[in-house]
This record gives sequence, C-alpha cells and structure tokens, in this order.
Amino acid sequence: MDSKISVKNLDMAYGGYVVMEGISFDVQRGEVFLIIGRSGCGKSTLLKYLLGLKHAGNGKIFYDGVDANELINGDDFYGRKIGVLYQGGALWSSMTLAENVALPLETYTDLSSREIKELVDLKLALVGLKNFEDFYPAQISGGMKKRAGLARAMALDPEILFFDEPSAGLDPVSARRLDDLILELKDGLGITIIAVTHELASIFAIGTRAMYLDVETKTATAIGAPKELLASSRDKNVVAFLSRGTKTPALTSEERRMLLNNPTEFD
Amino acid sequence: MVGTAELKFEAEDAAEITVSGAWNLRERNRSPTDCVAKISSKKSMASVKVRAVNLEAWDSSLVSFLVGIVEVCKAQNSSLDFDGIPAGALKLVDLAETSKAADVQISEKRSKNPLALLIGYLVAAFANSKNFIEFLGETCSAVAAFFKRRVRIRAQEFLVILQDVGVRALPIVALISFLVGLIIAFISILELAQFGASIYVADLVGISMMREMGCIMTGVIMSGRTGAAFAATIGTMVVNDEVDALQTTGFSSVNFLILPRIFALALMMPLLCMFSAFIGIFGGLCAAVIRTDLSITQYCMQTANAVFVNDFLVGIAKGTFFGMLIAIIGCLKGLKCGRSAEDVGLATTAAVVTSITAIIVADAAFAVIFASIGV
Repeated sequence: MDSKISVKNLDMAYGGYVVMEGISFDVQRGEVFLIIGRSGCGKSTLLKYLLGLKHAGNGKIFYDGVDANELINGDDFYGRKIGVLYQGGALWSSMTLAENVALPLETYTDLSSREIKELVDLKLALVGLKNFEDFYPAQISGGMKKRAGLARAMALDPEILFFDEPSAGLDPVSARRLDDLILELKDGLGITIIAVTHELASIFAIGTRAMYLDVETKTATAIGAPKELLASSRDKNVVAFLSRGTKTPALTSEERRMLLNNPTEFD
Repeated sequence: MVGTAELKFEAEDAAEITVSGAWNLRERNRSPTDCVAKISSKKSMASVKVRAVNLEAWDSSLVSFLVGIVEVCKAQNSSLDFDGIPAGALKLVDLAETSKAADVQISEKRSKNPLALLIGYLVAAFANSKNFIEFLGETCSAVAAFFKRRVRIRAQEFLVILQDVGVRALPIVALISFLVGLIIAFISILELAQFGASIYVADLVGISMMREMGCIMTGVIMSGRTGAAFAATIGTMVVNDEVDALQTTGFSSVNFLILPRIFALALMMPLLCMFSAFIGIFGGLCAAVIRTDLSITQYCMQTANAVFVNDFLVGIAKGTFFGMLIAIIGCLKGLKCGRSAEDVGLATTAAVVTSITAIIVADAAFAVIFASIGV
C-alpha cells in the first residue's frame, strides 16, 4: 500500500502529563482517515503533532517516507503541501474572504494577480461562496466561515488536508453539506484527508478508516473502516462510542444493523 | 513539460482547445487566459471543443481554466464538448458552476461612493453620541440604584479591580510624575534664576502639579493603562458571548461589569492624582536642590505657603471626574465592540484616544469654571 503518512510509536505529552503512548498508524494516499475518541483523549493533540505544531520527542512521523523533523527544517513544506481547516474556520478577521484565500497563493506562487483572482474565485465557488469575496469573516455565518476556511486550506491544492472537528457547531443540513463537499473535493483533487471528529454521522458518511484513541488505556485501540469497527470490534469502548456514546450501553445487534443501514437516523 | 493550452479555429464560429502537459498552479501555464480572451472576443461562437492530449498532471489551475471556458461559452450560447478531460476535473468544474451561495446574506457590502461614505460616517457619529448618552443614562440609574441598595456589586471582584487600578499603577505614575516635576523645575529655574527668583520654582511646581499636571498626567497614564484594559477585557467578553450570557442569565452588564470599574477608578484616581502631585513636587525639590542653592527646608516651606487647600480640592475633584470618565469610556467602547479579534483592537484604541481627548476637553472646561467662580 502507498502510505502518505506513517506514525511510529509516537508518545504525546503536555509537559510531564502523558496523553497517549506508542501511537502507530499509516494513512494511505487518497483516503479519509478519521481520528476518533472521547473528549480529552488527545485527538486534537495528535493533530498538532501531525501539523508540526508540537515536536515529536519520542516516536517518528513520516510524510511520504521523509522524517517530519527534516521537513520542518525545510520550512515551507507545511505551507505548501498541507492545508488545515480549524474548528472555527480561523479566518484572518482583518481580511476579506478573497484576501484570506489569496494570501497563500501570493506567498507561495509567482502567479499574476489576475491568475490569483481567478483561482480565488474558483476556490470560493467550489465551497459555495461565490459573490462573498468582499465580505469580512465577521459578516458571515459560522457555516460559511468553515467553508471559507476550507477554501483557504485548499488554496494551494495541498496533498493532505487536515480537519479539526469539521462538523462541530453546524446544523445537520450544513454538516451534511460540508461532508459531501469534503468527499467531492477528495474525489476531484485526490487529496488525502485526516479529520478529527466525534460526529457519528460524519464518521460513517466520509470515513474510509477510523482510529479510536482510548482515554483509559492511553493508546489507539482500534483502526479500521467505521462500519467494520461497529460490526465486529471486540473493544466495548469502540462499539459503545460508535453506537451512541460511552455512557449508553452498547446497542443490540438489531440496532447495530439499523445504524449501519442509516447512520444519520441515530445522530 | 509545463501545462499548455492551444487554440485553433476550425471555422469562423468553431474552436478547438488542446490542453496538454503538467498543469501546476505553482508554475505558470503557457498563456491559458489568452484562449478565453480570444474566444470571448468573437462575436458569436457555435461550438467549442476542449481536448486533452498528453495531459500529464492537473490541479486547480486546469479547473480554473475550464471554468473560464464554460463561462465564455455560456455567455455566447455556444455548445461545449470535453474530450479526454479527467473526470475529477470535470466534477469540480460542475461543482464550481452549480454551487450557489445558499446562506443568508447578513450585511450589505461596503459602499465605495464618497458621498455614501461621508453619510455613513455622520450616521455612525450620531449613533456613537446616542450610544454614549444612553449608556450614561443607564450608568447613572445603576449608580442611583446602588446607593438606594437595590443593586449590589461583588466585593471580591471589586477589590481585585481596585488593586489593579490603584496599587499596581503606582510605579508608573510615580516615575512619570517625578520626571514631569523635574522637567518643570529645570525649565523654571533657567528663567527664574535670571531675576534672582529661584525660590519661586517651588510655587510653580507645587501649584502646577497639584492643580493641573498631576491630574492630567495620571489621567493620560490611566487612559492608556486602565481604560485600554477595560475596553480589551469587556470587548473580549463580547466576542466570547460572555456579555450575552450575563444578560440571558438575568444580570445587568452595567451592574455586573461597569459599576465596579467606575467605582474603583472614581475612588483610586483622586488618590493617584494626589500621589502624582506629591511625587512631582519631590521631583521639583530634587531639581531645585541640585541646580540652585535652595535648601530642602526652604523649598518645603515655600511650597506649603504657595499651595492652598483649594488647590488640593481642585485636584481631588478633577481626579474623581477623570476617573469616572476613563472608566465610562473604556467600558462603553468594550461593550460596543464587534465580534472579531480586530474589533477588540479597534475598541481598545478608541478607548485610549477618546479618553485622552475627553480628559483634555474636560480639563479646559474645569479651568474656565474654576476661574469664573474664583477657585
């Protein structure tokens, strides 16, 4: 298989407090890989390690077989090859949506201002924000901010897109629309996607594979296709999480079958 | 091989575009925009065909080019055929063309018409004045309610604010006041020494620090330090919906956030002004002792003879008023802050500029009033 990202025995910690130990996984080119788990299990922390915002002390992260530490020293790898959609969009408030999307293009390419404008128009049109180019982030809704953030993350046609809770805070219709958009873009541009989420509907709708981080054992206890994990995982925490939540008892086999057939019904 | 787009006119109204090579937005593709310009320059175009030959790689630059072609063809009502274009690229072209802005437009675009901008500024200025008067009214009624014991403020929070605006401001107030006193004394000595009247430097420094400079300098320092902090704190609370949460929980934001700050500054500012005046006088004393043959006792006696209780009371009154002014402006700018990080910065800047301007204007008004009543 063609691994885009490989993580080997990664330990995650905040100072002396260990969040997760010995995390190892591979993300294949062109798949949607989900990092799932209960609140506080270290999903967003793992994302920070993958993005180079936290330095991996113990363990290694490889992008296309190259050690991430070398890529960090080679400065603009993270700007050019990686796009990130943050939970709230993280748009720069002093810039219009068009300026937000244009900035990476102006920084990393030699394109003319006309070509940049055409690309900005395209990216905003792809996320359904045509005609909103001159709006400031404060003037648009939360869902639009996320889509504008996605347009900015895609500005340079990154090879890998990271999403931090893409559907969090969105109504079910907007969340579904964003999930569809993620799949359209993945199929269209062949981007590898890594997303942190605990939205069940999104997990089943977009996930090629999911990795469950267990807050109790402080390690990744399951990796696989979400539907397969739900149907056949022996880890009761994984099944409970994918069924409904950790406080609710695991579903009966009949309920599981219903969920597999129609995941949004259980959202 | 870099991405290219070659245009051929098979007939007057029929064109064929051949795209080939590696399309990469980080590298310039060979004149793809020329094709769009040439087709759109034709009066009418019956058909356009886009063919991929030896297309090695593609990304958004190809999609952007294709979207441009689609739009030109739509404008000219010409038929468009794709041949060999990757399905993924066509999918994105379709997505870009069909996606519509579905969300509700929240606010109007900003106008660039100068007249509209001028009217906008005037309306905004009027709205600001209205906001200020409304806020002043709310604050006055909250103060009245406090003295009637209908409103209570949280003692612990009040003490923390008191400490922050008072004790923690002492070092900077002391430093600035000492230097101001020193500067006034140095300049005065140069002139007064020519008339053999160096002793009067104590009068000049004492009266100016007690009545004017102590209050003004403390007011400016507190505007930049405390007024800005009030605006930034409350502005951030607005951004985080904390102020909305207060109101929906049934707390008045004026009672909860504004009153403790106004009381704290109204209490601390006169004390800081007096502290500033005494430190300034001390600065003047240092300069006088170093630059003239005046003794410490002579300087102190001269100051005591020159400065009256009236001067002291004027300083107290101004300090209290300036304190309330800084707190009200800082809190108002914070409460009226927008919803973004940039808005917090703007609110903070506005709080400092408005406070300093208001202090200078108020000081001028005080000078006229005190002169007319002979204080």
